[in-house]
Amino acid sequence: MTPIARIDWGRVLLTAFVVLFFIFITLPIAIVVVASFTAASFVAFPITEWSLRWFYRIFEYKPYVDSILVSFEIALGATVISCLIGVPAALALARSSSALAGAIMTYLLSPLSMPMIVIGFAALFYLSRIGVGVSFTALLIAHTSVCLPYVVRTVAASYRGTARSLEEAAALLGANPLQVFWHVILPLIRPGIVAGSMFSFLVSFDNLPISYFFGSPDTLTLPVVMLSYMEHQFDPSIAALSTLQLLLAVVGLVVVDRLYGIDKMTSAG
Amino acid sequence: MAQAGTRTAWTLGKPLLVVPAVLFLFAFFVLPLIDNSLRSFVPAEGGGFTLARYAQMLTDPFYLRSIAETLLLSTVVTIICVLIGYPVAYYLVRHAGRWSSVVIFLLIAPLLTSIIMRTYGWQVLFARRGFINTLLVQDLGLLERPLRILDTPGIVVAGLVHVLVPFMVLAIAAVLQGVDRRLEESAQLLGAGRLRTFFEVTLPLSLDGIGTGSILVFMVANGSFVTLVLLGGGLKTLPLLIYQQFNTTRDFGMASTMSTVLLVVALACLFLQLRLVRRAGAS
Repeated sequence: MTPIARIDWGRVLLTAFVVLFFIFITLPIAIVVVASFTAASFVAFPITEWSLRWFYRIFEYKPYVDSILVSFEIALGATVISCLIGVPAALALARSSSALAGAIMTYLLSPLSMPMIVIGFAALFYLSRIGVGVSFTALLIAHTSVCLPYVVRTVAASYRGTARSLEEAAALLGANPLQVFWHVILPLIRPGIVAGSMFSFLVSFDNLPISYFFGSPDTLTLPVVMLSYMEHQFDPSIAALSTLQLLLAVVGLVVVDRLYGIDKMTSAG
Repeated sequence: MAQAGTRTAWTLGKPLLVVPAVLFLFAFFVLPLIDNSLRSFVPAEGGGFTLARYAQMLTDPFYLRSIAETLLLSTVVTIICVLIGYPVAYYLVRHAGRWSSVVIFLLIAPLLTSIIMRTYGWQVLFARRGFINTLLVQDLGLLERPLRILDTPGIVVAGLVHVLVPFMVLAIAAVLQGVDRRLEESAQLLGAGRLRTFFEVTLPLSLDGIGTGSILVFMVANGSFVTLVLLGGGLKTLPLLIYQQFNTTRDFGMASTMSTVLLVVALACLFLQLRLVRRAGAS
């Protein structure tokens, strides 16, 4: 006679709570995806007719298309610069346990802790003063300072996880520092660089508080255009655009996962 | 010999690799913030030095209320994140088992969506003819008139909690993972009930996770602005006032002053965060 297992009410309650929690987390996102397929010219429920017209609308509305290109260029540029200066810094700092290295690391990560709206506001005035003004370059510089920490943090974590002996072996076998970097270190930290670049790209692409201050035709990014659109209209093209953005992020994540493994990235992040 | 030479040069030269990043941030992050703070001390007519704006911020009820509202909103959001994030973190570490990768995925996936999408989601859910009101009024007939949820402080809190709670869960889970379960088992063997074990053993041991998560959430909530602009709620927090002052009033001196106040709060949070991390590292 096996005793009948007693129902663990504490655990049932906890599980129910967690399920409710994830409904709370997913509902506002799922509802936008659903709303983007409506045929109506405003978002209202229940949705009676379905269509893809709001996805076509994205490509017909010129400010969307222009700003998508600007956002893409800014995100790509900021990520490339962040890697060029961030990867060397991460390599230099990751394995040092000195107080100075710790302090420099904190300094390089500090933009993450400052309110973005303050960074944007301050950058606008300062960059205008030194003559960069409201321009593509100014926006690129401002974005780079908030993207850099993501690259430094992720690459440092990934470098810390690699075995030092591999570099030493390569050096003993006669490789010069550049060869060690190119043939040994770089392949080892590549998942870190890819993950850091992806964070950096997404952070820049989604940034509104900084971009908001740089408003000229060649500096209007997608979130800025979406914000001003939403202030005047409530049509579902915002939903379609959001759905498309989500799809791209998911595809990016899946591709990165196939290439390098998501578990490697999260352990590095 | 030559090889030993290059290796020494490498060892000596390696620290120099940080120079470009350090200089970049100094030129384009530190200097702008200093420049911005300095502007708050320059009188509107130019030249000289004034503390008038700070005096105004600390005496004018309008600004005092804004400071209080900013801190209160962040505090409320932080407390709610702890209350709802803790059980989820506990479940993730102790009960999720083979579901844990699903739980982590569900936590991280929303971070891939844009802030505009999530805020828009709340609008779509709670608008007069939104999903919830249609459900309650037309489909279920529970209400006679649609609820007014948008443009209330409640929806702003919900929006911020939605964005920030995953960070809280991850911070608490990271610490819970390291709690030695034998301590809990001993407490239970010694006769403590499950609740008592939780409150006297598990919870105190996971306070560091709550601390790390809280500072992070508080810091981000303090500077948040997109959620407030789009969900409104009549709140006038400092980021929102900076936005308005830049947009309409164009009082840049006052905007700089408010930025500096916000910056000081952020620096205080950063300081607390470093102390907490150092303490965790030491123990």
